[in-house]
Amino acid sequence: MAKTILIVDDSASLRQVVRIALEGAGYEVLEAGDGVQGLAQLQAAPRVHLIISDVNMPNMDGITFLKNIKQLPNYKFTPVIMLTTESGDEMKQEGRAAGAKAWVVKPFQPQQLLAAVAKLVLP
Amino acid sequence: MMIDIDPALQGAMETFFEESRDLLQEMEQILLGVETHGLEAEQLNALFRAAHTIKGSAGLFGLDPLVRFTHRLENLLDRIRAGQQAFAAEQMVPLLLACADHLGAYLAMLQGAEPFQPDFLAEDVRLLEALEAVQQPQPEGSRLPAPVSNRPASPVVQPADTPAPADQPQASQPASWHISLRFGVDTFRDGMDPLSFLQYLRQMGEILGLVTLTDQLPKFAELDPESCYLGFEIAFASTASKAELAAVFDFVKDSCTLHILPSHDRLPEYLRMIESLPEADHKLGEILVAVGSLTPEELQQALGQQREEEDRSGQHHPLGEILVASQMVQEPLVQGALAKQQQQRAQRQMLRIHAEELDQLVDLVGELVIASAGNRLRAQEEERELRVEAAVQVARLVEEIRDRALHLRMIEVNEIYQRFPRVVRDTAKQLGKDIRLEIRGEQTELDKSMAEKIVDPLMHLVRNAMDHGIEPAATRQATGKDPQGRILLQARHDASGILIEVQDDGAGLQRDKILRKAIEKGLVQEDQKLSDAEVFALIFAPGFSTAEKISDISGRGVGMDVVKQNIESIRGSIDIESQPGQGTTIRIRLPLTLSIIDGFVVRIGKGLFVIPSDAVEECLEYPQVEAAGYLQLRGQPLPLLDLAAMFQVEQDAGSRRNVIVVGQGSERIGVLVGAILGNQQTVIKPLGRLFESLPGISAATILGNGELAPILDIAHLLQHHTRPSRTAQPTSSS
Repeated sequence: MAKTILIVDDSASLRQVVRIALEGAGYEVLEAGDGVQGLAQLQAAPRVHLIISDVNMPNMDGITFLKNIKQLPNYKFTPVIMLTTESGDEMKQEGRAAGAKAWVVKPFQPQQLLAAVAKLVLP
Repeated sequence: MMIDIDPALQGAMETFFEESRDLLQEMEQILLGVETHGLEAEQLNALFRAAHTIKGSAGLFGLDPLVRFTHRLENLLDRIRAGQQAFAAEQMVPLLLACADHLGAYLAMLQGAEPFQPDFLAEDVRLLEALEAVQQPQPEGSRLPAPVSNRPASPVVQPADTPAPADQPQASQPASWHISLRFGVDTFRDGMDPLSFLQYLRQMGEILGLVTLTDQLPKFAELDPESCYLGFEIAFASTASKAELAAVFDFVKDSCTLHILPSHDRLPEYLRMIESLPEADHKLGEILVAVGSLTPEELQQALGQQREEEDRSGQHHPLGEILVASQMVQEPLVQGALAKQQQQRAQRQMLRIHAEELDQLVDLVGELVIASAGNRLRAQEEERELRVEAAVQVARLVEEIRDRALHLRMIEVNEIYQRFPRVVRDTAKQLGKDIRLEIRGEQTELDKSMAEKIVDPLMHLVRNAMDHGIEPAATRQATGKDPQGRILLQARHDASGILIEVQDDGAGLQRDKILRKAIEKGLVQEDQKLSDAEVFALIFAPGFSTAEKISDISGRGVGMDVVKQNIESIRGSIDIESQPGQGTTIRIRLPLTLSIIDGFVVRIGKGLFVIPSDAVEECLEYPQVEAAGYLQLRGQPLPLLDLAAMFQVEQDAGSRRNVIVVGQGSERIGVLVGAILGNQQTVIKPLGRLFESLPGISAATILGNGELAPILDIAHLLQHHTRPSRTAQPTSSS
């Protein structure tokens, strides 16, 4: 069965491109526009194998979202890829402390994200 | 504009246009509201997010010019958000609105598949420059990346990560590697699965053999199912490089132990590669990285380890030893690289030449740099592309010649350090103390003329540390210290120049004593609140000495201010760090060379002046309303100096004026200038004897267009124009 990936980013177009790339590689994709929606998706979905989350988002930012994920019994071992900017060193430290180990720097090309995803879960 | 877009992405592109337009509208509303409501943190975040979001999506679609533009915008907003830059509404709001309009125009052209119009391109350049101009100067290294090419800047995941499809013909024969992998105990808790990395690895080559290591597994009763105890030894065949293989484990590299070594039968192959490297003066690590048996990250890590051990235990381990001990490289390869290095050293021939001839050469090279800059400027004015290209190429070569020529004047700091062991021994005897001298980084190179000027100040600092810093053996013993005192002299290159440290393990500076003395001498007010660094800096004040008894060794309190002056005369800086009971470290920072500086060119009246870039802290528009002589900068009074008045040049009436904040150490001053013309590398020309004593001017330079420009003497300006502020407003200057 195909592995499910949740993409959380406030840009609908980014989500759309990521979805096309991931589905092309054989993954199933769920979307959320911010951390709050992301948590709701996680509660509703039967299983999510990987979460990709932006750091800068309205309502609930990526780091808070990550801390919340770690509280969910079903998802505390789910790998998370954080999307960040070149200038976000401080963010990165905060994220690392919250348990984010995988980072991809924006802007990225779809195949770069695919390579990062493939290291964590194969389709 | 024509862009190649995958038809599947067409729909996403439409979403992108719509979403970007919404974001631009939001941006505009926030900006228009600034005048009435001001700018709140959440709104600033929203502005940042808008730029960030557009950039992220534009990158996905490969819209590089748009990425470049939004990157600058995002950067500026991020700096404002982080409090690194002030938000001056009257300047920023129009600029940011213009940027939003420009982005709107950009989207419209993309959507209509129209070509870019010349006036649009001109606006693009203008706004990029304006965004750059409002950015306050920041230290090297945090500068904006060079214009984006077709790849985004510094992606975490390098394109090389993408494995070549297996059916593609391979350029070279797969080579065999030995990969030794121990996953960290928290691997599962970090959301990582060891198996998925191995599966990914398999896409890059063939696993010839794999042994799962279970030696870390505890007894079943003690086993924690959330912890990872696994390790693997893998024989792997792949055409990928060592760095590419290491990148597979990027996400777990902090927690796992990873060694990637070429299999033993391949060592002769690596030795041959080392052997055939071109002749040049390579360091050991560079040789190993060049042949691909060490990754740059591993080298960094090993060098860091070397430095750390040195700092901790004072022991210097050769790099080769560290590389072998941490299993980054096999020993035969280190031996091979060392042999290569020996061979290179032996082949270096020496030639004696007159220092004077060398100086003439360097002087001529300086002229060449100027002439080349002028040539380039003229080519650009003519707007002939081939001419510009040729000029740029010449300029690049000239810069290389300049670097090489300056290097010729460098000597190893060892040559001045040689005198110190004797001095320390004699002085220790005279003082009746037992003190040993340690020297590190003796191969650090610095300009010969600078080396000569640094000897006396260094000598003074070392004597001072021995006399006042290090306690008598009995006192040391009573406090549990090694009865033998230690002075450490070390030198190394850092980001912007050369760092020389004099460190002692003595009693440290006594803050209270210094402060009391300073108050006695009227250097500071009694109620003034000072940080430790500010208090320690007081010992450099003229006529300051805390030693109760004057000794022959370190003078009569005329020393430290002279030391400071000497260092500043070669454009260096000095600062102190001290821990009570543990010792004092004095750091001297020197520029790489004395003859060329990065200069900030400004107009004052009709003339051009150069401010050394390393002194420039920020640039502001001059708010006319301020009271004469002062400026409020983020709630702090900043003394303001009108250079037009000082140099008695006529100020163009009605032209816009700017304030440049310059500083050295903890002192800052704003200088009032006309237009700011930007950064330029300038060759320092000494002033003739007639003008030597001109206040406020240290030297002169010739600009690319042939114009002569004096270079401001920042140390002088600070010394003569910051003092009154302290007495005028003693409480708010701390």
